[in-house]
Amino acid sequence: MTIRLRHRVLAAILGCALWNTAAATDSTEVVRPVLSMFMFDVGRAHVLDTYLTPITYRGVGVRLGYEHSQVTKFAPSAWLRQLAVDIEYNPARNAAKNNTMHDATLQARFGMMRRWEGLFHPNLQLMVGPMTQLRGGGIYNGANSNNVVSVKAHWAVGAQGMAIWKTHWGAKPLSFRYNAALPIVGVFFSPEYDESYYEIYLGNHKHLAHCGWWGNRFDLTQSLCADLRLGGTILRIGYRNRLERSWVNHLNTHITTHSFVIGIGGEFFTRGPHYNDKAPVKSVY
Amino acid sequence: MSRYLLLASCLLLLLTACHDEPEWPNNAQGNFDALWTIMDEHYSFFDYKDVDWDEVGARYRAQLTSNMTSQELFDLCGDMLKELRDGHTNLIATHDVSRYWIWEQYPENYNERLVNENYLHFDYRQTSGITYYVLENNIGYMRYANFTSGIGEGNLDHVLSYLAACDGLIIDVRSNGGGYLTNVETLVSRFIGERTLAGSISHKRGKGHNDFSKPYLYYFEPTKNHVHYLKPVVVLANRGSFSATNNFVAIMKSLPQVTVVGDTTGGGSGLPFTSELPNGWRVRFSSCPIAGPDGEISEFGTAPDMRIDLLDADVARGHDTMLDKAVEILIAKQ
Repeated sequence: MTIRLRHRVLAAILGCALWNTAAATDSTEVVRPVLSMFMFDVGRAHVLDTYLTPITYRGVGVRLGYEHSQVTKFAPSAWLRQLAVDIEYNPARNAAKNNTMHDATLQARFGMMRRWEGLFHPNLQLMVGPMTQLRGGGIYNGANSNNVVSVKAHWAVGAQGMAIWKTHWGAKPLSFRYNAALPIVGVFFSPEYDESYYEIYLGNHKHLAHCGWWGNRFDLTQSLCADLRLGGTILRIGYRNRLERSWVNHLNTHITTHSFVIGIGGEFFTRGPHYNDKAPVKSVY
Repeated sequence: MSRYLLLASCLLLLLTACHDEPEWPNNAQGNFDALWTIMDEHYSFFDYKDVDWDEVGARYRAQLTSNMTSQELFDLCGDMLKELRDGHTNLIATHDVSRYWIWEQYPENYNERLVNENYLHFDYRQTSGITYYVLENNIGYMRYANFTSGIGEGNLDHVLSYLAACDGLIIDVRSNGGGYLTNVETLVSRFIGERTLAGSISHKRGKGHNDFSKPYLYYFEPTKNHVHYLKPVVVLANRGSFSATNNFVAIMKSLPQVTVVGDTTGGGSGLPFTSELPNGWRVRFSSCPIAGPDGEISEFGTAPDMRIDLLDADVARGHDTMLDKAVEILIAKQ
């Protein structure tokens, strides 16, 4: 055992003591594969923004998403970190079918989740933990005059959770996962009731930032997916729902999407020269 | 535990449900109510114009019938909006636009052909929507016909460099129906030598007729590293000088070297917003009041320093009465 490897084992033992987890305490190398998933969603979108119009618009929206999940270095059997980046576009039409609004959003979410495996059932894995979310974008209504766009920006901290049920489909590993992210408090941007962006451009920046909480903003993103492993590749299909509500300065925003999700990805890890090729590698996702 | 979760879920549903928007049915009554409510909650000049919107709504609502045609409903709604006497307020459908364009009823006071033929001799230069020329007596002339035409800083440098040697400058914005306020800033910034109060803007903070924010004072800075013109200027205006042009005239009028000549502008000092009805008709209305540097809202127009009309007798002999007066004023200032 080299000095470097001894240090790794020692660090792993200390980590176990600190976090009181059942981390790997034998000589097994703790490899931390990265689960990378690329997703494409398509589905129904409902968009209402009373800064632009009192009419709800409806349409078919799309999303491209990327998820990067990896167990943490400090307590690999107990904690998972996840980065999710999405770009979403919802063109939506009014009921009269004579106008289209364009809702576009770019979002990044980073969170860490405590993992419990086999807590209620050997096949069940539960995760919950804190997350932070940054979202920016806007809704554009080209038929309007000086209220042509409603800019959206928010940063929040909250909770996210995941429940994974592992099973098999024939000889193929199959897992079902429910994932939810719920911002709790944060900061978000909104102009006042009939404030023009021209006035903001002129320099009036008062009352634009608002403390977001469930009294003026509610935001929930959840998905239910099935992941089928085909060798090193994971195929994902499922349903995703985003619910965003804000009500501030007498302005209401409602964005709801119901989407069909397809995704592809896999687990990847880098093995250094000191790793033992015979060491077992077990997926934790 | 599950009881608390259920309670939290109910609370969340309640929070979101509390803020549902009213949905008006797409029929005559629903569209009329939507229009009346949108204006009631967003229009900014009810008190300024002493309009009792409840009374107006009751009077026109009484004329609604369940079997009226789309055209009849459009005419009824358009007539109701005309009670606001506002050039920025329109009902927009695929077949028509309701309007209150009072300036159409005033003397036009501008004849483009007359100017181009007898003063510019069809030999003018043109860039960024600006027509410019050096008149007799070494007076510069520039016409900006529409504030929607983007003004490039480099183009403006060319225009003002060409006119820099002139003893005075006429800026003709007659029948300029407005456009982008950012172009007002671009243009005015060439005629000021220091930071200058341009006016104030406010907005509604709530649905009440007088829920206005405190007016926000805004200033224009002279454009750095570009050509300026600080010699005497005459601005020519008429009733067709509306919206952003009205704002331009009000700001220019406050500058010491500027004289406004012609007719009162068409007004339009509310920044328009747009909304829509269930049937897809759109309604544009004055939303954010903008006051000039003197603190006055010029919704009904900015009066000139020197009132003068284009006389038919002068037109008959190839003269523009207002332009001649502008030249006369600038020569007198030399």
